[in-house]
Amino acid sequence: MKLDRRFLLRGMFQGSAATMMVPFLDCFLDSKGQALAATGQKLPTRFNTFFFGCGLTKSLWVPKTAGKDYEMTVQLKPLEAYRNKLNVFSGLRIPFDDNPNYQHWSGVAAAATGISPTKQGQFDSKTIDQQVADVISRGARYKSVAAAASGNAKESYSSLGGLNTLPPETTPLSLYTRLFGPGFQDPSSPNWKPDPSIMVQQSVLSVVAEDRKRAMMHLGAADQARMDQYFTSVREVETQMATQLQRPELTAKVEIPGAPESDLVVNNALPNIRKNVPLMSRLGALALATDQTRVFNLSISEPGSQIFIPGDSLGYHQSTHEEPIDPILGYQPRVAQYNVHSMELFAMMLKELDGVQEGDGTLLDHSLVFAYTDQSFAKIHAVDGLPILVAGLASGRMKGGYHIAGDNSTVSRVGLTAMKAMGVGVDSWGANSMETKSPFTELLA
Amino acid sequence: MRSKLTLIIASFVACGTWIGAAALEASVGQVVGLRRLTQNEYRNSIADILGKDISVQGTFEPGIRIGGLTAASTAVLSITPAGFESYSKMADTIAAQATNEENRKRLVSCQPKSAKAPDDACAAQFLGHYGLQLFRRPLTAEELRSRVSLARTMAKSSSDFYAGLRYGLATLLQSPEFLFRKEIAVPEGKGYALEPYSRAARLSYLMWDSTPDAELLKAAQTGELITAAGLEKQVDRLMASPRLEVGMRAFFADMLMLSTFDNVSKDGLFYPKWAGPMGGSAAEETLRTTIALALHENGDMRDLMVTRKTQINRMLASIYGVPFSFKGEWAPYEFGPETGRSGLVTQISLLAMFSHPGRSSPTRRGVALNEILLCEPTPTPPNNVDFSEVNDTNGPRKTVRERLMAHANDKTCASCHNAVDPLGLSLEGFDTIGGRRERENGEMIDVSATLAGKSFSGAEGLGKFLYSSPKYPACVARKLYSYANGLNSEEVEPAAFKDGQESFQKSGYRLRALIKGLVTSPGFFIATAEHIKTVSP
Repeated sequence: MKLDRRFLLRGMFQGSAATMMVPFLDCFLDSKGQALAATGQKLPTRFNTFFFGCGLTKSLWVPKTAGKDYEMTVQLKPLEAYRNKLNVFSGLRIPFDDNPNYQHWSGVAAAATGISPTKQGQFDSKTIDQQVADVISRGARYKSVAAAASGNAKESYSSLGGLNTLPPETTPLSLYTRLFGPGFQDPSSPNWKPDPSIMVQQSVLSVVAEDRKRAMMHLGAADQARMDQYFTSVREVETQMATQLQRPELTAKVEIPGAPESDLVVNNALPNIRKNVPLMSRLGALALATDQTRVFNLSISEPGSQIFIPGDSLGYHQSTHEEPIDPILGYQPRVAQYNVHSMELFAMMLKELDGVQEGDGTLLDHSLVFAYTDQSFAKIHAVDGLPILVAGLASGRMKGGYHIAGDNSTVSRVGLTAMKAMGVGVDSWGANSMETKSPFTELLA
Repeated sequence: MRSKLTLIIASFVACGTWIGAAALEASVGQVVGLRRLTQNEYRNSIADILGKDISVQGTFEPGIRIGGLTAASTAVLSITPAGFESYSKMADTIAAQATNEENRKRLVSCQPKSAKAPDDACAAQFLGHYGLQLFRRPLTAEELRSRVSLARTMAKSSSDFYAGLRYGLATLLQSPEFLFRKEIAVPEGKGYALEPYSRAARLSYLMWDSTPDAELLKAAQTGELITAAGLEKQVDRLMASPRLEVGMRAFFADMLMLSTFDNVSKDGLFYPKWAGPMGGSAAEETLRTTIALALHENGDMRDLMVTRKTQINRMLASIYGVPFSFKGEWAPYEFGPETGRSGLVTQISLLAMFSHPGRSSPTRRGVALNEILLCEPTPTPPNNVDFSEVNDTNGPRKTVRERLMAHANDKTCASCHNAVDPLGLSLEGFDTIGGRRERENGEMIDVSATLAGKSFSGAEGLGKFLYSSPKYPACVARKLYSYANGLNSEEVEPAAFKDGQESFQKSGYRLRALIKGLVTSPGFFIATAEHIKTVSP
């Protein structure tokens, strides 16, 4: 099938052809939909995170029964299509140890690191996506990629620890350019050949790296760590270049669209975020399918979500604090609506992952998606019972369809389970009261 | 080949005095500051060193606000892999432009023996010259040798002398010695003080938001900058330049938190006038007003709290309700006394940044003004706060004031809200995008406030309150000192900026006097004991 790229992009970036979305990806697959099986290569298992601010409403999202076959709840309903590839975790504890409950932060850090944070806005270790990337990303062009659907350059929860937050791409165009702009070679192209300019850049980097010894001299401990991070980053880009000289083993039969001519509006207004999330998710899925990266992080908001629905003068975060609990319903109705939007946006990401056929299943089957938030009950900054959802079957290493109901476990058990499913050889995860050696074995195949 | 190259470099090197690098090599220097260049500092440095026509395209890792200033985060942030990737690409495209056929005539002062072959002498001259400017100190012999060697290899393999220069230059542009400003202290008297090149960079990035120019580097090289007279001469020169404006714009943009606009959205349903570039225009208005008063008119900085003079463009005029009948994009404008506008706090920028998408917020405005103008940060509220009274617009409490009062009567809440809300309540005559209003939900808005035992009314009253508060000029001095040094303003001792503050006060609060008082203060270049202590051997 021949596609007019300009037409495609008009559909992709101006949202004028929502109905194109399904055929859009199909066109990129070969006629049999066997994207990768032909090569006989083993597909890597990919890792994704999805961050949404301000949690969900307990009475509306937690299923009544544990295990499989739970009755679908109002707030999980948008995810129904994926329930067999989804596990939901409720009632897990987040002990603070001796640290304060940092508003809109302690929950984020506990879920992503298994460690109660000692500082507002900082993680006390690498976040789970980076811990996984350290193990699974060798051979991919980028160790990980992050995107922020609201366009906020500070909205990334992918971190090397401390202040070393990995910056996100903030528009569909910038994400496109990073993944498929200059320097990208379609692995399935018959004309694929190593780019000689990369070898030149390698020589340049080796001169930069030679200065390391001198650059590290006479620094205080904190500055030494910062300088060390700089040279670690240089090494990572060197590895990235070395990878680019090898033709990727995968030859996904997805076709990469040309560069968009204009960008979308990115801000906190929900309608804009609803346009950005499918695009960013699709670009992420294409990147995973072509092994540009094996770790993709998408956030739809910051903790304490600044998302607002036009006409709502308060917006999401302020509503969680100021909207009264409806005495009859027993919850905050507007907040509950925002909660559902978060799950709809999550479903949009899953749709893109599940829409890419590869091998004997879909990209989602060969992935894990760790979805988490900052609060269990945002109104009072509560974190116990933090909603966590893990989608994807991790190439058969994860079972799906379960509701794990809290039994006084710590939230870190989810992280450990995800690490195990990703094949990361760790026996324990988290620290202090959240250190755990017990994954949810019932989920691991 | 190697020995010949060494000779060439040695002869080049002999022309310079090697204070900064030599101090480090001799192991007597200590790095007491490591400041990642901000996006503006990077861009300005490239423009100054290689020319304004060189395009710089790429993403920069964002800073974080610490103690009210993103400048403080430059002293704690590093460079992540994604960040380096971007720096590396920018280095390559900048170096390619600087050495292309068009620019090499201007930027390469020596003539290679052949344009198609290596020429170590010319390469060393080029890389040494731009190395000095980019690293803000002369290169060490080894730094230069490795680059000349790369240039030779590249020139040879591509039969293009200028390709060698390009890649040699690219290594300089992505080196940590350029991307970070290293502040090096050497023993002086009983303690440690910054060596001259580090002094030059601190002065230049503070006053010009850019790299030291040739004359300042020369003053560092000759040691002139260590003498009081030499320092004063350079400070006066930097202050007399129109580029002081660039430096002070960067400071005020940081102090007034104007980058908040990067993440401010307004609800287009309620406020259709708020369109895309409005935030940028509002920030520009505030910077123009500030610079005009502080530098062009050499005015009393306290007047910024009460002035009705501003500069507006067509977009802003629509929110201010002013017919824009001026020539040019921007025009000076003076609000009438009846408009209720008075000082920076009534400009669209400060009003809109600290509001919700569809609603003003006296608390957010109050918290922000306290931190920005009075250096009084507000602690985070308790985790479990009942806001329901504040939000119920259907109840008997129609205005935000009435709703706020309800929870400010609670003792725990009141301890902060009583210090914060009055500032914001006096600004309730302005909606979330900074438009004038008299009523909220049908009720007349009461703009009276009482703070620190002083009662005032409306923005004009607030302006006068701030004008006469001694905390405001002290806060400007504290922020400028912290900005210059990359420190958390909340942790700085008043003694550190005392000299600047005194000269500020004596001059009738002129900005230039504050700057000069700060940077010529005997302590300004002294490295603190705690810095030296933490340095590893």
